Amino acid sequence: MRSLIERLVTAFEAFREGLPTRDRNLLRRVIDYERQGDSTRREIIARVYEGAFLPYLRPNLCKFVEILDDVFGVLKETTYYLLEVSIPEQVSNDCARIAALNVRASEMLLMTYDAMLNGEDLREKTLAIRIYEKKIDDIKFGLVKDLRTIPFRDFWEGKMLSDLVSGLSDVSNIIEDASDYLQIISTSMR
Amino acid sequence: MRVEEFMTTRLEFVDADQSVYDALEKMVDLRIRSLLVRFGGRKQDYGVITARDVVFKVLAKGMSPRDVKVSDIASKPIICIEKSTTVHEATQVMQASNIARVFVCDGEKIVGVVALLDVMTASLIMRARGEHDS
Repeated sequence: MRSLIERLVTAFEAFREGLPTRDRNLLRRVIDYERQGDSTRREIIARVYEGAFLPYLRPNLCKFVEILDDVFGVLKETTYYLLEVSIPEQVSNDCARIAALNVRASEMLLMTYDAMLNGEDLREKTLAIRIYEKKIDDIKFGLVKDLRTIPFRDFWEGKMLSDLVSGLSDVSNIIEDASDYLQIISTSMR
Repeated sequence: MRVEEFMTTRLEFVDADQSVYDALEKMVDLRIRSLLVRFGGRKQDYGVITARDVVFKVLAKGMSPRDVKVSDIASKPIICIEKSTTVHEATQVMQASNIARVFVCDGEKIVGVVALLDVMTASLIMRARGEHDS
């Protein structure tokens, strides 16, 4: 499970690095990470049901892994949009900031997982993730306002950029859900 | 952690010759507590007007915000720090100047603002990461 979260962090880092220049090599790696994540997810779920886990933990563990899969899924979709459409200069800085904050949020999710395994209180770490999510929401608010002032060639260019921005900013909501689930697992293990 | 990681980059402005009412309306609409004030002239220089200025210098005195210009109550010059300034250093600047926000500059250009809430959230993140700012 830790390797799955580590892979998520690596995927976010690749996305952040690939964003400014739409580096196709880096962005394709994000899509590969999602595929690898899928495979790891299946292994984890199989082991959860094969192994000697307490019955009430199994659905929570599976749910957590499914949420991570959702994060990968949204990141992959966002990457596809970025491969198709370039980000206008007016919003490029904000998009870069959100991508950087997503990396931080995913790193904090990994720290939260480690803290859970060590039996530590997760409160400060889940709060940090909520702070990142709120910060991204604040940036998104202004970003969407700016987007509406940009003229587009056609409907599809506007739609894809809108979906890109949505994916970029909404993924932090799912990371927050994942951290909430770690809190649930942590509580149920006590 | 450096201020450029947690500063607010979206800056809102008001012109010095506008009325306090215009500034007040903008602050309420945008749900923000301060505006950068543009003083024209050959060299662009800036001040700041805060909710505190509006309340204590205008409203509490029973004055009409429509009759007072922004330039009459704005604070000038603004206090700037570099992007590479740490959280701790920014806090010290704010404490020394007794201000609730400080602007972040990249050379001559204002690129962001750091307020007390930003400092608090940055400190919480540093605690969660096990980092210590010195």
